[in-house]
Amino acid sequence: MLPQSVRIKFQKINVLKFISHLDLCRTMKTALLRAGIPVWYTEGFNPHPKMVFSLPLSIGTESECEYMDIKITEEMSFDEIKQRLSDALTADMAILDVYAPEMKFQEIGYATYEITPYASYDLSPLSKDEVNITKRTKKGEATVNVKDRIVSVSENEGKIYMILSADTERFVNPEHLLALCKSEDHRIVRKEVYTRNMKIFR
Amino acid sequence: MISDKILKRVSKPGRYIGGEYGQILKDKNDIKCRWAFCFPDTYEIGMSNLGMRILYGSLNSQPDIWCERCYTPWEDMQKEMKENNVPLWALESGDPLCNFDIVAFTLQYELCYTNVLTMLDLAGIPLMADERDENCPIIIGGGPCAYNAEPVADFFDIFSIGEGEEALCELSRLYINMKDNGSYSRKSFLHEAAKLEGFYVPSLYGVSYNGDGTIKEYKPLYDDIPTRIKKRIVKDMDKAYFPEKVVMPYIETVHDRIMLEVCRGCYRGCRFCQAGNLFRPVRRKSANTLNEQAKTLFKNCGYDEISLTSLSISDYPYLETLCDELLCWTEDKKIGLSLPSLRIDSFSKELMERISSVRSSGLTFAPEAGTQRLRNVINKGVCEEDLMNAAKIAYNGGKSSVKLYFMMGLPTEQLEDLEGIAQMAEHVIDAYYQNPDRKKGSRPPQVTISVASFIPKPFTPFQWEAQDKLQVLLDKQKYLGSKITNRKIKYNWHEAKVSHLEAVFARGNRRLSKAILEAHKRGLMFDSWDEYFNYEKWMQIFADCGIDPEFYANREYAEDEILPWDIIDIGVTKEFLLREKKAAYAERVTPNCVEKCSGCGANKLGGENSCCPKA
Repeated sequence: MLPQSVRIKFQKINVLKFISHLDLCRTMKTALLRAGIPVWYTEGFNPHPKMVFSLPLSIGTESECEYMDIKITEEMSFDEIKQRLSDALTADMAILDVYAPEMKFQEIGYATYEITPYASYDLSPLSKDEVNITKRTKKGEATVNVKDRIVSVSENEGKIYMILSADTERFVNPEHLLALCKSEDHRIVRKEVYTRNMKIFR
Repeated sequence: MISDKILKRVSKPGRYIGGEYGQILKDKNDIKCRWAFCFPDTYEIGMSNLGMRILYGSLNSQPDIWCERCYTPWEDMQKEMKENNVPLWALESGDPLCNFDIVAFTLQYELCYTNVLTMLDLAGIPLMADERDENCPIIIGGGPCAYNAEPVADFFDIFSIGEGEEALCELSRLYINMKDNGSYSRKSFLHEAAKLEGFYVPSLYGVSYNGDGTIKEYKPLYDDIPTRIKKRIVKDMDKAYFPEKVVMPYIETVHDRIMLEVCRGCYRGCRFCQAGNLFRPVRRKSANTLNEQAKTLFKNCGYDEISLTSLSISDYPYLETLCDELLCWTEDKKIGLSLPSLRIDSFSKELMERISSVRSSGLTFAPEAGTQRLRNVINKGVCEEDLMNAAKIAYNGGKSSVKLYFMMGLPTEQLEDLEGIAQMAEHVIDAYYQNPDRKKGSRPPQVTISVASFIPKPFTPFQWEAQDKLQVLLDKQKYLGSKITNRKIKYNWHEAKVSHLEAVFARGNRRLSKAILEAHKRGLMFDSWDEYFNYEKWMQIFADCGIDPEFYANREYAEDEILPWDIIDIGVTKEFLLREKKAAYAERVTPNCVEKCSGCGANKLGGENSCCPKA
C-alpha cells in the first residue's frame, strides 16, 4: 500500500556527535533527495520531505541506534533504499537497517549507553538514595531526582554501561549523570533502544 | 586535528569537524603538491562561496594535487588553539597548514584582511613574505580583491589575477616540475611563477613614491617578467571545468543551495560597478549545458533550490529556454528556482511565474539612484517606468514585498537625488493601490529600501572619485530618513564607517600593510562582522602608523596619476574608463555591449559565446 511507511535505522558516530538534531534533519533531507528515494512530501505552502525521528540525540553523544521514519510514494525495496541512502551519506552516518516499522516511537522506554572514560570519575553519587540533577526548563532551573529513572549502572573492562529511562517525559541524559560523577572527558555511545517492556525497539 | 574535549567547549563545533559528504580525501603518498585553500571568514560563509567550490574541484581533479579547506576559527576556538598549542589545520587531513606546499587565500572583500593575518598567525607561518624561509608554504592570494591587493602585498608571495581554474593547476605543475628536477628554491619558483600569465609576485616589483604620497613608479626587478600582469580568463564556459560534486556541510551555511553559474561578466557597464569591469568579457554557458549541470548537481547534492547565478541574470539571452528546461524536472521534484539579480527593465510576467512556481519569495530590484539624471550619470540605464512596470507585475502575481537597492554618495549627487529615492519608494507603494488587477486579499505592500554608500573602486570609471567624507554620508543618511514618512516603507542603510574603511583598502597601496599588521597585533579580526568592527580603533591605528585614511578614500585621484592597480591589466583599458568618466559628468548614457560595442578593450582576451566583436 502506498504511501508506505519505512523505518531507517542509522548510526551517528565520531565527529557527528557535534551535529545538532536540526542539522541532522537537514542532512537527512538532502541525502534522501540525492539518493532518489521517492519520499512523501508534506503538503502545504512549503512542501518538504516528511521525516520523523525517534529520540533526539544530545550534542556530544554518539549513537548506533538512531531511527527515522519516512513514507515512500513509489515501490522501492528496503535493500535498495538502504543501498542508495548509504551511498548518499558518509560512513559515520551509515544506514544499519531499513524495514517496515513494527512499533511506535511512543513505545520507547529505555536506552542503553556505553561510556568510555578518559579521565578520573567516581560513580558513587549514582548509588545514593537521591540522584538530583538540575534541569533547565522554561520556568528556570529545576532540580529533579532521577533515581527511579536509572535502571542500572555497571562497569566492565574499563567501560561504564548504563540503562536509562528514555521516554519523553522521563528522559535522562547520561551526560548529566557523568557530570555528577565528576567525569570530565569521556565518550558516550547510545547502543540500543528498548520499549517500556524492555523489548528491543524495532 | 582538534580534540573532542576542545570541541565540546567551543560554540558551533560543527565548523571544525570536516568529514562532510563530498569532501575529497587522497593518499598523501600519491600527492606532489598539497594546497590548503583558505577562506578568511567563518565556515558558514566560506562554504557558500561558489569560486572556492570550483577551485577546490579543479585542483582536486589532478591526481597528484590535493586541495583541502580551511576557514577562520571563531575567537573562542582561537583561544583554545593558542592555549593548547594546536596550529591551524586543514579540514580534510587534519594536518597543520605549515606542512602544506601552498596555502591559498581567496580575498572576497577588503574587510577580510585582518583575518588573513589571524590565520597565518594561528598556522605559525611568518606574516611577512620576506620572513619566510624554504620550509614555509608558498602563500598565494586570489579573488576580486587581488586585482588591487597592494594593501596586503607584503604578506603574500604570489597573487593569482583573474579566473583560477586553469591557472592554479598550471602553477602547481610548475611547482611539481621544479621540485622533480631539483631546480626548486623559494626564490627561483617565485621568479618562474612571475613569468606565467596571470601571476603577480609583488616582491619582484619595486614601488617608489612621490613626495605627495602618490606612486612614482613600479619597477620589475627582472627583465624577463612582464611590466603589467594580464588577468586570466576561461575562454569557453561550456568547456570550462565544472565541479560536479559539492562538499555538503552538516551545519547550516549562508547559501544551502545549488549555485548554477549561468555566465561570467555583465554587459551593462554601470559606472560604479567593479565586477562589471573585472569580469569582462561576458561569457555565457549554453542552456543545454546548464540544464545538464543542474541535473548532475541535484543528483550529487540534493539541495531543493537552484539559484541561477550571474551578475545580471535577466540579461542572459536564453533565460526563457533555460527556465523551461529546468522546470520540466524541477517542479516535479519540488525544487525552487531563484534569480538573485533581476533587472527591472527585463523583468516579465512569464519570468516571475517561472520563479514562483514552487516557493514564493519576495522580489528585489536595484535602481541604484533616485533620479533619472543620476541614473544616467551612473549608466544604470533604467527608468522609473521600468520600476513601476516591474512592481505592477509583482503585485499582479500576488507579491507584496519589494526590496529596492540604492546607493548614496554617488558622484554629482544632490539632495534632490536623495529625495528621489524616497519618492520612488512612495510610487512603488502607490502603484499597488492604483492597480485594479492586484491579487485580492494579498497583504498590504511593503517596500524595503536598502541604501549603501558609494565606494570608489579600482577598475571603474569612478576609480578617481573621492568618497564623501564620513560626516557627509551620515548627514545624507539622516536626510533621507527624514524624507521617508510612509510606514509601509522600511529604510535600511549600510554603516558608513564600514564603507569608509572599505574605500581606504579598495584604493590602497602597499603603505597600508603597516596598518593592517598593526591592527592584527592589536587584536582586530572579523572586521566585516558588526560585533567586531571597530572604526575608532582603526582610525587610531592609522594615526599611530602615520597614515591618512582620507588620502586613500576621500581624495580625488588625478587622471594622470599612477594608480596602485595600474600594474594589473584586466583587459578593459584606462582610456575607456576615462571616456566613461567624462560621459558620466556629461550625464550621457553609454549603450550596453549588446546594442553597440564601446571598445572597452576586453575583447582582446577572447571568449566564446560573448557579445564582443572578435579582436
